[in-house]
Amino acid sequence: MSDDIKVDKSLDLKGLACPMPVVKVSKGIKEVEIGQVIAAVTTDPGSLTDFPAWAKTSGNEILKSEQDGNEITFYIQRKS
Amino acid sequence: MDQKTRNELLKLFKSKLNEAMRLYLETCTRCGVCTEACHVYASTGQVKHIAAYRSEIIRRLYKKYFKIRGKLWPSLSESKELTDVALEELFEAAYSCTGCRRCMVYCPFGIDTQMLMSIAKLLLIGANTEPEILTLLADTSVEKGKSIDLFKEGFLQGIKNLEKEVVKKWKAEAGDSVIPVDVMGADILYVALAGAHSIIPAAAIFNAAGENWTLSFFEAVNFGAFVGDPTKTKLILDRIINEALRLKVKEVCICECGTAFRVMKQLSGKQPFKVSSITEVHARYFKEGRIKIDPGKFNTAITYHDPCQLARNAGVMDEPRYILSQMTKDFRDMTPDPTYNWCCGGGGGLVALGDETIDFRMKSARVKADQVKKTEARILATACENCHSQLSDLNDHYKMNVEVKFLSSMIADALVSE
Ligand code: SF4
Ligand code: SF4
Repeated sequence: MSDDIKVDKSLDLKGLACPMPVVKVSKGIKEVEIGQVIAAVTTDPGSLTDFPAWAKTSGNEILKSEQDGNEITFYIQRKS
Repeated sequence: MDQKTRNELLKLFKSKLNEAMRLYLETCTRCGVCTEACHVYASTGQVKHIAAYRSEIIRRLYKKYFKIRGKLWPSLSESKELTDVALEELFEAAYSCTGCRRCMVYCPFGIDTQMLMSIAKLLLIGANTEPEILTLLADTSVEKGKSIDLFKEGFLQGIKNLEKEVVKKWKAEAGDSVIPVDVMGADILYVALAGAHSIIPAAAIFNAAGENWTLSFFEAVNFGAFVGDPTKTKLILDRIINEALRLKVKEVCICECGTAFRVMKQLSGKQPFKVSSITEVHARYFKEGRIKIDPGKFNTAITYHDPCQLARNAGVMDEPRYILSQMTKDFRDMTPDPTYNWCCGGGGGLVALGDETIDFRMKSARVKADQVKKTEARILATACENCHSQLSDLNDHYKMNVEVKFLSSMIADALVSE
């Protein structure tokens, strides 16, 4: 967990099949207020390209991503 | 709906009217042969789920706006006004059709309901009433194509983390790259999905076969095709074509994703590379003796679900059966055979819509569950991500008592060196 970021909602997306990580993160971000942050944990290597591309497309911001073995955590701030 | 919107939608409608489409719109005799052919109707018994009923919604709009008779005598020609209510009907028709084309093989005129539903999907996009998430997924894929250099490093790191798992299944020779990426002049460009399960077994099998391969930066799935947007379908496809051309590969191998394979095979045009599904490549490795497996690994009855987009719509039917004949003495084919196989009920973007469609997906695929149960097999193999997800849901819902497995994972788990 990142100490410097306040997380408002966490999503466990580990082991989900394509395209569920992006589908769930799109839904999840709408469940927090603009400015709030979700932490999404995935095990998909493809999410390292999918999530930044999704953030750009959907107008949200990835504040930080961390890798711990096969687990990748994205801290995403709702912007719109 | 205002006139301006209607005119714009009719322009989109017109853009779809090629010779084949006009033929499909003009030849239905309402013979009813397709009625029982659709798994949705066969499972739910609702008239709105009959293939010809779905098409009739499109056909009536066609008569109203593109046929003289419909323009002059709308009441005589059963023509229909394009209104907001008509759009709702189009949504219902298009997003309850998986595009499996089973109805087409029964229809005496070969009317392609899936193609007709592509008109409905395009009109829904034009009216901004398509499922938003499918467009977002398509846009994400397009964005990746535009900005791949920004994302490359993260991807390479993610891939590196998978190498240990690959080596567990097949020990690479010293000096060999376990998951090669960006290899100029590779024989095969492998296009996977985002998930590790789409990369690890495939990598182990390529390495076991001594293949000169390279992994694509892009995912194979084409959400442009699911949402029915021809422009985005092409942009998503072009990312892979351009990568294949840049690397000068001989063959593009598409992972276990039926739609990705059909789109690549049928829409990539004449290219200097061959397009294969991973199932075809694996069958080839067996035939050429390039991989060996432990034939006793799966000592149980196995059946196979033909993904519609891979089998009925792209002709890959013999290869999975050949592979499974190497893996079990007890292969039990489903009845009816691959051409008439029931759809799993998850195509056309329905699985990607997740929880929203789960009730419908379960109800509309009862006939699939019955078909699987009749085999009394304990493993249900398949070669499509979409089908795998849907079949796993069906397995829970209908207690099919099978283990749903990817064909490629089964091969990777059974690999032996001698
Ligand atoms: S089988 Fe073909 S011609 Fe007969 S009703 Fe169905 S679509 Fe029309
Ligand atoms: S394409 Fe498949 S789902 Fe669609 S109407 Fe025909 S049989 Fe039914």
